[in-house]
Amino acid sequence: MQEHADETATRARADLLTALLLVALGLVLFYLSWTMPRLEARRIHPSTIPGLVPIALSAALTLCGGLLAWRSWRLPAKGGWSALGKAVTGKAARRVGAVLALALLHTLVLVGWLPFWAAAMLFIFSFIVVFELWLIDGQPVTPLSSLVWAAIIAIVGGGGIYFVFERIFLVRLP
Amino acid sequence: MFDGLVLLGQGIGHFLTPASLFNVVWATLLGLVVGILPGLTATMGVALLVTLTYKMTPDQAILTLMCVYLGSIYGGSRTAILLNIPGTPANAAATLDGHPLAQQGRAGLAMGLATTSSTLGTMVGIFFLAIIAPVLSEAALKFGSYEFFWLALFGVVISGQMSGSDTPLKGYIAGILGLLVAMIGMETLHAHQRFTFGMPALGGGVDLIPAMVGAFGLAEILSAMKRKAVTQIAEVNDRVVPTFREIFQYWRTIIRSGIIGTFVGIIPGVGEDVGSWTSYAAAKRASKHPEEFGKGSQEGLIAAETGDNAVVSAAMIPTLTLALPGSAAAAVLIAAMYIHGIRPGPMLMVENPVFLYQVVAMLVLATLANLIFGLSLTKLFIKVLSVPRERLMAVIYVLCVVGSFAITQRMFDVYVMLIFGVVGFILREMKYPMAPLVLGIVLGDLLDLNLRRGLQLTNGDPSPFFTRPISAVICLIVLLTILLSIPAVSRRVRSLFHRNGTGAPAQG
Repeated sequence: MQEHADETATRARADLLTALLLVALGLVLFYLSWTMPRLEARRIHPSTIPGLVPIALSAALTLCGGLLAWRSWRLPAKGGWSALGKAVTGKAARRVGAVLALALLHTLVLVGWLPFWAAAMLFIFSFIVVFELWLIDGQPVTPLSSLVWAAIIAIVGGGGIYFVFERIFLVRLP
Repeated sequence: MFDGLVLLGQGIGHFLTPASLFNVVWATLLGLVVGILPGLTATMGVALLVTLTYKMTPDQAILTLMCVYLGSIYGGSRTAILLNIPGTPANAAATLDGHPLAQQGRAGLAMGLATTSSTLGTMVGIFFLAIIAPVLSEAALKFGSYEFFWLALFGVVISGQMSGSDTPLKGYIAGILGLLVAMIGMETLHAHQRFTFGMPALGGGVDLIPAMVGAFGLAEILSAMKRKAVTQIAEVNDRVVPTFREIFQYWRTIIRSGIIGTFVGIIPGVGEDVGSWTSYAAAKRASKHPEEFGKGSQEGLIAAETGDNAVVSAAMIPTLTLALPGSAAAAVLIAAMYIHGIRPGPMLMVENPVFLYQVVAMLVLATLANLIFGLSLTKLFIKVLSVPRERLMAVIYVLCVVGSFAITQRMFDVYVMLIFGVVGFILREMKYPMAPLVLGIVLGDLLDLNLRRGLQLTNGDPSPFFTRPISAVICLIVLLTILLSIPAVSRRVRSLFHRNGTGAPAQG
């Protein structure tokens, strides 16, 4: 019961923050849509200007964001801010951060610098080792077993994807 | 009527040869593999295979492509059920109930239901394609910009209203965000570039596939790695072949979803995903147990899979009779038909009426192959669940990179996938539904183009949007949906019915 109340309080505060961001986004988009060229030189009908639908959508986003902010503000959320702070610095958040860091490292650095199959193998190996030996959440695995499995899956997975896509499906890989 | 049946019989007989059946077998299996692999879509599978069919005869080439198309749409349900990642965009709705069913240890049943409902959905679509194709194509011809505008808005609004689990507001916000994403790039009425900020890569807009792979692939990887580990996966020993009762207790849902899928398929450019989401939303609305939707509802899974597969068959109606693709994969099929000297369009029924029924026969054979492989090979895929997420998700991420890169071979699309993955993950965590976001991206161009084209046709007069009969009906539904999602209005309406309900006996 208490856990549910905490979750509701956290979400109410998170919703409030998001809603304010959405209102800001809506206002920026409204400005950009309003100032979009109206192509008068091409004598198009004023009701068919390119900004017509974006104006309506950004206004709707601002309105919905405002309503959500109002709704979230009115919800009782005792201790919501501190619970939200804990949620974004907890272990679960660290695991998400680690996935993102590995994904960005693979896609922005390794791909292009190494052949795709090598980048894929390195990513798969590191991913498994990081989550089985460092950020463990579940059944512990012995280091030797983890390293061996990581190497096997990296070779089979990375090599398999390269072979199936580039050789069989004839898909050009990054 | 009888001429049609005779032509259909001839069409099926035409393909009952060893060579044709061999093509059906390998192409369906390939389609299943394409559908099961996340990030590989039916459109991509069909497009990749066109090059392999150059040397085939036209009928065999189209048969092969059709089997891949149907196989991958169906195969995608496996990934949706087992991994919560739609194998193709068409199976996104199947994740909502298919995956919870698998998590409850009923993966076999989920796959069996998906297989059977896919077959039934295709059959409903085939029925309409074979029997009333000319009539329906004429009806589709009467749809103008006004109707398309309202249909697009209807899709986003109904999806936002139905799928917003926390509050409909979040559903509407997700839909609006999707529509805004669709505004990026060159608009089609005046060829003006919107929100591109001088970046040439944004000129063509945001592709649906990388966005979907991000929002459903990477976002799911992040969600899966964040969640507490399931220490023991329930042993899955349930039967795969569903009982007659398990399927046909939802006969209303099957027929309704088949008809909705057929209707969506007939509308040019509106693909399987819309058919699936719309069928799902309609089933949830009509269900006696709407609270079970999203938590492992068999009815929800059946609706989603019947709807998308009915679209595949029905999409052939505008494709063959008007040369307007009923879906993205159907656009590739039109190109393949031209390569093989078949000219789809209004004249096809005059010049080559047999071909229409050959297409019907192709769909029948492909769906039977799906049914056989689906029910016999199904247990193999359940093993995917036993792979630890730490060992599976890394490979899935590499597939996401490949899947988002492969369509246009641009790293830009991989970056789009990354952005949508992160944003999609945050939105999921905040309980924003993904369905309206996706619908917004799919329908944004349709909505924008048809609103402004309609206004251009009437020189700025918006009255046809409200006075044309079909437009007026859809407009009314959209307005009522929005009004009823306002708590105060909804309460008033409910109390009105409640008062009437309690007042009636007193009068008697």
